[in-house]
Amino acid sequence: MGRVLTEVSRAAAHLLAASVLAFLIVRAMPGDPAVLLLLAQGQAADPATVAALHAQWGLDRDLPGQYAAWLGDFLVGDWRTSFRTGRPIFEEFRARLPTTLTVGLGAFALALLVVRPLAEAAAARPGGWPDRLLDAATLGAQAVPGFWIGCIAIWLFVVEFRALDLFAGGPLRFALPIAIVAFAVLGPLAQVYRAGLREAARSDYVRAALARGAPRARVVAQQGRRYAALGLLSTAAAEAGTVVGGTAVVETVFGLPGIGQFVVDSVAVRDFFVLQAFFMVAVAWMLLASLAARLARRFVAPGGF
Amino acid sequence: MSHHLPSGVRRSPTLLASVAALAVVAALWQPYAPDAVDLTLRNVGMSWAHPMGTDHLGRDVLSRILVGFARTLAAVAIVASVCVGIGMAVGILASSLHGFARAALLRTAEFASVVPSLVAAIAIVAMFGNGTLVVGLALAAGAWGPHALLAFGLAERTRGETYVRAAAALGASSAHVLFRHVLPAIVDTQLAYLGAKIGRVVIAYSALAFLGLGADASRPDWGAMLFEYRLSMFDQPTLMLWPGLAIVLLCVALREGIGWDKDARTRAAPH
Repeated sequence: MGRVLTEVSRAAAHLLAASVLAFLIVRAMPGDPAVLLLLAQGQAADPATVAALHAQWGLDRDLPGQYAAWLGDFLVGDWRTSFRTGRPIFEEFRARLPTTLTVGLGAFALALLVVRPLAEAAAARPGGWPDRLLDAATLGAQAVPGFWIGCIAIWLFVVEFRALDLFAGGPLRFALPIAIVAFAVLGPLAQVYRAGLREAARSDYVRAALARGAPRARVVAQQGRRYAALGLLSTAAAEAGTVVGGTAVVETVFGLPGIGQFVVDSVAVRDFFVLQAFFMVAVAWMLLASLAARLARRFVAPGGF
Repeated sequence: MSHHLPSGVRRSPTLLASVAALAVVAALWQPYAPDAVDLTLRNVGMSWAHPMGTDHLGRDVLSRILVGFARTLAAVAIVASVCVGIGMAVGILASSLHGFARAALLRTAEFASVVPSLVAAIAIVAMFGNGTLVVGLALAAGAWGPHALLAFGLAERTRGETYVRAAAALGASSAHVLFRHVLPAIVDTQLAYLGAKIGRVVIAYSALAFLGLGADASRPDWGAMLFEYRLSMFDQPTLMLWPGLAIVLLCVALREGIGWDKDARTRAAPH
């Protein structure tokens, strides 16, 4: 229980650091946010309106006071208003969250589903086709941009296969985006899992179990999977960042109305409160992933390796 | 005591030098002005005059690819130098400090590892405008953390090795231990780790350009070309081919040139 508390407080500390950074980025930006907002909305930036906005956002206080005002508002769901749409950013994000989560979690689930059979087949027979396929997937994740695959997939499925269902309203429209984001994380995850299995097969405790006469396949399956899962968990937490970036890109390519697409549209008009909120959400997602991975480690290996 | 590359890592300085030389040539010379519009020459296929054809505005695609190449490599070089430079400096510094200063450096590096690099880059570039330096620094801002933690782990491990402790016991100065033993052990592993992830840096830069956040939207960039050409994809699919192929080729060339070790990080883990 004490360990869990340590992990949670570490995540909270990181989130606090992220909030300082998100706050400072907007404060360090050239130009007065209030003036920029008024100009973006096509209004005159007269001193009275600017002063009113400053008071509303707490910008008339000293720097720590400004930060406290912003953080307090952020924590209760007041994420300011989007310049571009004129609606509260919290509402904009909440409406788009299901789309983004479907792509992000769907990609993670798909990748994890494929990782185990692929890596186990690869580890069992070095040089066999699953082994080479895994190497190819790793190179692919390092060399082939998801947005390019996305564009080519659109061309292929629209022109060649006439599979327009993939782009109509139904749940099928998530198929290609999920597959593309999953492809970006599959290689790194499968590689770590395969390396874990191979390392476990060479380890002393597997040798000891074999020497005691336990059947090889069972030992490697039981001990190896547990050991390899540990590596997989920490890599999965790191790859959560790839999923965020990848999701933003595929949402743009496929025109999916998710948070990523909303942010990309906001970038063009420098809608900085949206960027600030996105930064916080992305860091929170990373921390949740890393927290989940650390807690899962305790279930996989209660004693620790 | 000499150090060697982590086992199995092959590096090709020749390939790396060729890529760099080619980028310099590409920056200085293109067969046509990359932005010269010629509406009489729209969507011309491959020919001797235009090896990659022309786009929907009659611009020479090869010339645009060449300019994009130089710009991409410049940004990637900035990201790589900042990650390795800052990473090693912070990692080694943390390893030679104690108490609060060490903890503060390590927590900062951990935090930088948590921030997704593309997200940080989108925010920073959107706020502070573009330019190759800003984009390179923005991408590095969320990417240097793992390099620092890796350097720290290696520095700790090397300082604990018997031969290094022996050198220190024999009266070697800490500077001597640092430059003679710690640094060489770290540089090779840093580069192997860089090589294993350099492709993703190229892809991240292209993704920024694709999203309209490249170094300068008025100049050709591979990602920006893909964004533009996808609209004429159904008439002229080969336009989508060249920028994508260029990205893949650069990723593979840099990866093989720098040399890579997929296990660089796990192998250097301090525990």
